[in-house]
Amino acid sequence: MKKYLSTFRMRWKMETQYRGAAIGGIVCQMVFGLILISVYRALYQGNPQSMPLSAIVTYVWLQQAFFRMLLSSDNDLMDKIRTGGIAYEMCRPVNLYGYYYARIMAMKLTGSLLRAIPMLIVASLLPEGWGIGAPTSLPALLLSLLGLTMGLFCMCALENITMGITMRTIDFKGFQALLNLLMATFSGNILPLTLFPDSWQPIVKLLPYAQLLDAPIRIYTGETPVAQAGEVFLIQGAWLCIFVALGLFLWHRNTKKMIVQGG
Amino acid sequence: MHYIEVENLNKSFTVRKKREKGRLTREKTVIHALQDVSFHIDEEELTGYIGPNGAGKSTSVKILSGILTPDSGKATVGGLTPWTERKKHVENIGVVFGQRMQLWWDVPILDSYRLLKDIYKIDKNDFENRLEELTDALDLKELLATPLRLMSLGQRMRAELCGSLLHSPKLLFLDEPTIGLDAVSKLKLREFLQKENKEKGTTILLTTHDMEDIAALCNRVMVLGHGKKLFDGQLPDLLSRYDTQRTIHVRYDTAPDFSSLPESCTLQKEGDNYIITYAPAELPTAEIIARLQQAGRMQEMTAQSQNIDHLIARMYREMDL
Repeated sequence: MKKYLSTFRMRWKMETQYRGAAIGGIVCQMVFGLILISVYRALYQGNPQSMPLSAIVTYVWLQQAFFRMLLSSDNDLMDKIRTGGIAYEMCRPVNLYGYYYARIMAMKLTGSLLRAIPMLIVASLLPEGWGIGAPTSLPALLLSLLGLTMGLFCMCALENITMGITMRTIDFKGFQALLNLLMATFSGNILPLTLFPDSWQPIVKLLPYAQLLDAPIRIYTGETPVAQAGEVFLIQGAWLCIFVALGLFLWHRNTKKMIVQGG
Repeated sequence: MHYIEVENLNKSFTVRKKREKGRLTREKTVIHALQDVSFHIDEEELTGYIGPNGAGKSTSVKILSGILTPDSGKATVGGLTPWTERKKHVENIGVVFGQRMQLWWDVPILDSYRLLKDIYKIDKNDFENRLEELTDALDLKELLATPLRLMSLGQRMRAELCGSLLHSPKLLFLDEPTIGLDAVSKLKLREFLQKENKEKGTTILLTTHDMEDIAALCNRVMVLGHGKKLFDGQLPDLLSRYDTQRTIHVRYDTAPDFSSLPESCTLQKEGDNYIITYAPAELPTAEIIARLQQAGRMQEMTAQSQNIDHLIARMYREMDL
């Protein structure tokens, strides 16, 4: 277990190595958030929606704060696969699936925590209607944190599958562009999923991309009542099992058929 | 039972070429990287592994380090089959791929070493001692806080080697470790490897194109060509097969007359120098020198044995590689 934790520490060091990039990321995400909120405010002035504006604003801030969890691709790992550097990883006494899982998780977690904490502090200081709202209750907050954790586990497992596919296709750009499009649409990053037509709701709520941020945010804002949180966890758990099983299978097959590129 | 046993190992790769215009299918070529290769290596041996580019050296190293799965054949290292018992096997081995990086690019190398310590579950005290020892020998003390990206090629190679040896592996695979190193770094590296082998009893399998590496380090060499093992034995034995010629460079005060030189030797003129190549087995050196003295008043003379690279090039040519 310690070796997987160590990869976390390493990633944290790498993230903090480039502080300028981290600060730049925060500023970028803040501006993005403010623009989106302006757009929704304008929209609401013309045509108020069923969901209160404050809930949408909160949704946007939480999405922006944890954006790095969504953003797929550890370019380091992709490059390793492309150039054959993965040969070294194969010489380590680790379970490769677990090792890559830990590295993906580390990237998502360190990257987003580094950005989310300062962003959420700033967002909570903004005036009413612009800033993030408080959670509906303490259980809602705790359950949404649990939901976020589960969602993160799901996302990492999904990305590890991408990694496994990359090992076969070698170049990841085409596949990833497709995945990023799906992700941006169905995670609620472009348009909050709560604003999708009602008839779409049962489906979009079930999709894997909704599990990471949308599901926990809905618990946080009270859209999903605390009593129904169990259902959310059930969906997340089901996806997690499917993704991990598929990922393990893919990695297992890959290591048997591996070729190392570049001599 | 030998430490490393390899029996009839086969591995082939399919290479697909770009589709030609007007054809629907891509052309496929199968490259037999290894064909029925067998050998064994005992513990504490330092073996050199040579052959031209694409001979299958790296492929065999990758199979033995558990990265690739062969098509057929058997191989065990210390009783373990590398590709089926990979996790257990790799605990005991260290690998250096001269053209790849294992350390993290952006962080100080000490951080990379600490991560390796946890990955290999090295005890804290053992780690400190080993690190002390390695940084001493490889001259890395001042570089520990430097990120890899700021290092020169030579420093990086030393840092990589240190990373591969932290867990005191019983077996070390070196795939072109001296690539791009300057003379001083090369000598240091060789000295270090020799010490590791002698004092720690580390078994080393060295792949290289630098024949000086082999000459300085290895008692035993294996030659691989087109995926087949062509030679396995002592380096001097290998060389003596091809080292059949000597050259003499001479310069004369006045224009010499070489009419008395036997026809079996070749004569070249290079500026004021004459280069005579002959086979001592057929024509004794004393004889040649006597004839050269007859040719005119000698100003200067040097005799040379053939450069090891030339010998190997000749060997590759004769083996049709």
